[in-house]
Amino acid sequence: MRRSRVAVALASVIVAIVLQTTVFGAGRIRPFGVAPALVILVIVLLAPYIEAEYHVMIGFTAGLLMDLMGSGTLGLWAMSLTVVAFMAHRLRQRFADSLGMTVAIAALLTFVGQLVFVVVGTLFGQGTMSEPGLAGKLLLPALWNIFLAVPIALGFRLMFRSRERRWAS
Amino acid sequence: MFSQSNRRVTRVTVLFLSLVAIGFIIATFDVRSDQDSVGNVLREGTQSVFTPFQKAADWVASPVIGFVDGVANLASLRSENDRLADRVRELEAEVQATTALEEQVRQLELINGLEVAGDLTTVTARIYASGSSPFDNVRYIDKGAEDGIVVGQAVVDEDGLVGRVDLVSAKDARIRLITDPLVSVGVRIQSTNETGIVSGRGDGPLRLEMFRATQPISVGDLVVTDGSRFPPGLVVGSITVAASSEVGFVLRSEVEPATNLSQVDYVKIVVGFTPIDPLLDGGSDDGSTSSGGS
Repeated sequence: MRRSRVAVALASVIVAIVLQTTVFGAGRIRPFGVAPALVILVIVLLAPYIEAEYHVMIGFTAGLLMDLMGSGTLGLWAMSLTVVAFMAHRLRQRFADSLGMTVAIAALLTFVGQLVFVVVGTLFGQGTMSEPGLAGKLLLPALWNIFLAVPIALGFRLMFRSRERRWAS
Repeated sequence: MFSQSNRRVTRVTVLFLSLVAIGFIIATFDVRSDQDSVGNVLREGTQSVFTPFQKAADWVASPVIGFVDGVANLASLRSENDRLADRVRELEAEVQATTALEEQVRQLELINGLEVAGDLTTVTARIYASGSSPFDNVRYIDKGAEDGIVVGQAVVDEDGLVGRVDLVSAKDARIRLITDPLVSVGVRIQSTNETGIVSGRGDGPLRLEMFRATQPISVGDLVVTDGSRFPPGLVVGSITVAASSEVGFVLRSEVEPATNLSQVDYVKIVVGFTPIDPLLDGGSDDGSTSSGGS
């Protein structure tokens, strides 16, 4: 069961990366020039369904894949998404409170994840802190993730619960 | 004595700190590695795995996105159409006036043995994916080494310079946009012929630095490639901030890229140009990038 959950989580991450680089890629769906941070959102919303150790490792793997698909230094997104996964896991009890709380946590951690990337990127000479329009690049993905969080959270709930039922039977 | 849950929290925290440390080590190695590093091999491999999925997603999503865009822009399309019709009339008049001049220029270039950017061999490619975050300045194209693409070649569209090729696999390649902070391009101000270096800032206008400028630059002055690394005469953009040099100081200004980089769908890769400056390891000016993270 644990293995299946991890496999489903990894598949979700890969789908998120493909959509992030194509559907939400340049010249596509990017309201005000900035796309939602789909991969971060998926990592956050997986928290209630995956054991902490696996969740942190999936966060690291997703970040490393983002690094490999991006233009920056390898390891920066890996660090950022590991932080996001760890924080999401620490807040996982809150996910049960309400859907509103889930959405708020998703937006907050999207912002935190990008902020960690900007800070670490600057330390490694990427100049991310001095990029024009930095505030928009940090805030808008968090804002767009508010809208995407509800369908994805509900989708995960349906997917993992239906699999639980299948595993139980 | 630790309870089981405390032990688990500790285990997760240790794992978290270990992974952050591993990320830090990977980043350090990548910054210090050269162009042919393990990192670039991994990038190529990952891209090869993702390419079929990205192309499939792009193929499925394109019509839907096109339809959504069309509906969203319907109101502005009509006025845009009128504006373009006026512009076409103006351009037709300009074309007639410049035909004679073009012939003179062609003859002069033949005499001087100059290369003309328009005559260079190019390969047309389609952009099917971009970087994975708003901080990435890369695009993926559907042509690769099998089509004659190699690292360092200039990438242009109908408006001007888009970027340079920085990673190539057999059937695909990655281009790094001129807005990337790791990209610098040797340029010439068309009106004064003075040279300088344009660098990306991640987004928005490019930074222009001129070290031996003797003449001022004005808003609207056209900035073109100087021919050292990229073919000469490719339009990079236009000056947006007027500036004049002071003795002992670098003249600094800003250049608005000629190409709307967020809307580029098709590009041409200039495959038939041999740069004057060889691509240096570690990269510096004129289109090379520093190897770390490239």
